[in-house]
Amino acid sequence: MDRGLREYLAKRLLLIVPTLIGVTLLVFAVTQLFSPVERAALYIRDPRQIRFVNEIISKYGLDQPFYIQYVSWITQVLQGNLGWSQSIHQPVLETLLSRFPATAELAIFAAPITIFLGIYLGKLSAVKKDTFVDHATRALAVVGWSLPSFWLGIMLLAFFYGGLGMFSPGRLSPWAEVLVRSGSFKVYTGFYTVDAVLNLNGAVLLDALSHLVLPVATLTIINMALIMRVMRSSMLEQLGKTYITAARARGLDEKTVINKHATKNALIPVVTLSGLLTAGMLSGVVITETIFEFKGVGYFAARAATQLDVPAVLGFALLAGIIFVIANLIVDLLYAYIDPRIRLG
Amino acid sequence: MTHTVVNIKFWDKQSPRMKELRFILKRMKSSPLSIVGLAIVVFFTLVALLAPVLAPPQPNRNPYMIPRYGYSPTPKPPNPVNLFGTTEGQYDLYYGMIWGTRAAYQIGVLVVAISALIGIIVGGLAGYYKGVFGEVLMRVTDIVLAFPGLILAMAFVVAFGPGLNSITVALILVWWPSYARLVRGEFLRVTAEDFVEAAKAIGCSDLRVMVKHVFPNTIFPLVIMASLDIGSVVLTAAALSFLGLGAPEGYADWGQLISLSRNYITGAPGNPFAYWFAYVIPGIFLFLFVLGWNLLGDAFRDILDPMIRRR
Amino acid sequence: MKEDLEETLLENEQLKVEDLTVRFYTYEGIVKAVEKAKLSLRKGETLGVVGETGSGKSVTALTIIALTPTPGKVEGGNIYFRRGAGEVVDILALKEAALLKIRGKEISMIFQEPNAALDPLYRVEEQVAEAILAHRRAEMMQKVEALKPKALTNRSSLRYRLPVFKRFSQQKLLRRVVREEILSLLRTMEIPDPERVVDAYPHELSGGMQQRIVIAIALACSPVLLLADEPTTNLDVTVQAQILDLILRLKKAFGSSVIYITHDMGVIAEISERVAVMYAGSVVEVAPVVEIFKKPLHPYTQALLESIPRPGSPFKPLPGTVPSLVNPPSGCRFHPRCPFAMEKCKLEPPNLVEVSPEHQVACYLHTAGE
Repeated sequence: MDRGLREYLAKRLLLIVPTLIGVTLLVFAVTQLFSPVERAALYIRDPRQIRFVNEIISKYGLDQPFYIQYVSWITQVLQGNLGWSQSIHQPVLETLLSRFPATAELAIFAAPITIFLGIYLGKLSAVKKDTFVDHATRALAVVGWSLPSFWLGIMLLAFFYGGLGMFSPGRLSPWAEVLVRSGSFKVYTGFYTVDAVLNLNGAVLLDALSHLVLPVATLTIINMALIMRVMRSSMLEQLGKTYITAARARGLDEKTVINKHATKNALIPVVTLSGLLTAGMLSGVVITETIFEFKGVGYFAARAATQLDVPAVLGFALLAGIIFVIANLIVDLLYAYIDPRIRLG
Repeated sequence: MTHTVVNIKFWDKQSPRMKELRFILKRMKSSPLSIVGLAIVVFFTLVALLAPVLAPPQPNRNPYMIPRYGYSPTPKPPNPVNLFGTTEGQYDLYYGMIWGTRAAYQIGVLVVAISALIGIIVGGLAGYYKGVFGEVLMRVTDIVLAFPGLILAMAFVVAFGPGLNSITVALILVWWPSYARLVRGEFLRVTAEDFVEAAKAIGCSDLRVMVKHVFPNTIFPLVIMASLDIGSVVLTAAALSFLGLGAPEGYADWGQLISLSRNYITGAPGNPFAYWFAYVIPGIFLFLFVLGWNLLGDAFRDILDPMIRRR
Repeated sequence: MKEDLEETLLENEQLKVEDLTVRFYTYEGIVKAVEKAKLSLRKGETLGVVGETGSGKSVTALTIIALTPTPGKVEGGNIYFRRGAGEVVDILALKEAALLKIRGKEISMIFQEPNAALDPLYRVEEQVAEAILAHRRAEMMQKVEALKPKALTNRSSLRYRLPVFKRFSQQKLLRRVVREEILSLLRTMEIPDPERVVDAYPHELSGGMQQRIVIAIALACSPVLLLADEPTTNLDVTVQAQILDLILRLKKAFGSSVIYITHDMGVIAEISERVAVMYAGSVVEVAPVVEIFKKPLHPYTQALLESIPRPGSPFKPLPGTVPSLVNPPSGCRFHPRCPFAMEKCKLEPPNLVEVSPEHQVACYLHTAGE
């Protein structure tokens, strides 16, 4: 890693701190919309403590000015106390940690497919501009982007599960769930696919994979559209630039011109977008998880919201914000790695 | 050679504005997708405007509450009384589609308009006067934009309590930062141009410069963003209603109606698609509405972008 | 037929553009960018092409290497080119595979904005290497072969005989050989400190330096024709002088012919042997450089020369503006601005005709309406 990159990394790490503080401030600001009694739930780890509401209010200063409250709240957060979720019957932090692998598993399958397909189709569409392929992919992109995710999920479920009996909702079939919870199956990561491999259990692996098909398809169809559009316009922009004409004027064949020069330059904005989309998938795709009863972070966020479970919803929001900030950092670093102008400028 | 002063009226074929208008129309005609988008949008606009005619509301009732044709939970397929059938709880789907269009426009236009307004004022001031305020604003928008829209909206709705007003306010809070950023960026760009210096030099007041000179040049990106956003806002609102955080049961809201169909997506024994109308119909309306606006927004972008560049 | 093509060029002619017509199909209408343009270039000569924006000079240059920008289409004409080995080809009739052998090798082009002509993501070395390896790969491989025995005998252990390692070390040797070649090329471009420049990214270099790199890439394979599209317009005046100087010297050293496009009459005077004047898509006058300045025949050329500001004399701008190329004026496209316009001028555009030795003009004032 050359010196320029290292300096850039250091600078960006420093900048993260205020942004993270900002994220917590926003979540905190939302808490201020509630009465002190409602906010008390944020500070307890045990449901029985809710009887001591008044003590909690005075202990954490819930009727004090907001700056005092912020300090006491953030201290609790940093100690891992995000409150008690009455809809899930667990401390919020525990819920987040135990449910995160499910969401991550979904994201790990969906994100690369989405990004790869989006880039490939976007590039194809740009290179074959104004041909049938171009029009077809652009129509596909606009349709994909306009589809309501919950409707697409329902349609897919109705057709495949309802109609064909394939791909039931949930992460595993009932028999696999039983097996996984029993002692004979060691859960290493919480990723059922990975754990199945580690347990050398092909049946569970297949089952987990088959349950991933529809949710991944839903996520892919919708998000791929966005990447496709950005890649297409980015490619078209690059293809119009002088250095591409200059490259052709050097006698380079079209394949090299497109793949080595235009594509690499065109990928720059796509990297940013892909990072953001992946972050979005990691912070809990609420709708998709709800439809497919995929018990990840988003699924429980939705349940918590309908039951007005304040600590849970805020906990999820905080998680989402933090993931986003980290994703931004990674994306910026990637950006600096690809584009020398950024790190030396 | 003698010079003649030519008086060009607005409606004259040769005036610059007419030329631009003709250019826009010609471009639109040449792209089939934009025509489709325009057609869809016109269709939905007409439906929304003619709602009371197409599906007369019952007297003394909130017209957005769908009339019920019984209380049985099982959806009934399309029939002469219920043109699109009914969903769980016997809510008439046809009525729901018609008034749902109006509801969609209501929330879409309201959220986008108010977000844009806030964005214009805040972003415009930040971009015109530059300085610390602009930087602070950018940090604030950065932070709001750090959250996935749906999750942040959910947090707000939980705080305000579920309901349509809550989601409207929540969506406005989530959406305004993108407009503020856009407007600030555009203002920064335009105020750097020479003609703004010129206007200031001849003594135009700040407000006049902002309104008469800077703002018209920033309109195009705003229009593009707004038309693309209507679709996203309606989708997010529908998602919130689907989750049960928005419109109450029985309200003419497409998301709400889709959520009512959830128990029936596997159909009946022996006929997996028995209740297809319960989820396909509201979904198609929602999808087409968003598609139409997205196509229109895309068309605007394709057309207005070269116009921006030509300047 | 090859024999027929041979007839089209004289013994000492390098390039002949005949009746070239290029049209752009845009939303605003059909832009008739180049209309029956004629150019001819001799071996080893420098032809200056002068014209304002919209005269069609850049489009013509790009069409010479068949890179007409979209949405442009060549609607007529021929471009005859004599290759280094002597064979004559019609550029517009060639297939892509043949064109790849000509671009960068026989005809090279340098552009107006040096920063824009280089890919910002790759170092200088990689970009110059691209050009070299595209056309001179065999030559480089020969050098690698020559080096190999020495390199291998230095390490005679078994490991280095494995084919995988051989390929790897061959790649390394190739890189080294090419790098040496690039360094010597940069030195010819009079670039100080080539070692540092070679490892740099384009945006780290100054405009003048970038342009030298672009020129280096263009000359890397010793082309017989160099197309220069306003290469110094965007540079500071002092740098401009250096680059012009460099081009002249390199031209002599490499023996190439040059078509130099510019709108600056001063540069034309300095660098050209012959001058072609373009207006609104056609060539209106061609003459040796001294003739053009002393005895301009076409009213547009006269106006161009008169509009150059001179201390002491009042400004004499040319009235009117460059015409729209979507609806160009009928007949001679210059007639609306021409002080000597006649009825004839509005009907048919005049042809380019030789009126005195080496001096051609397209104007009814000097030709008898041919």
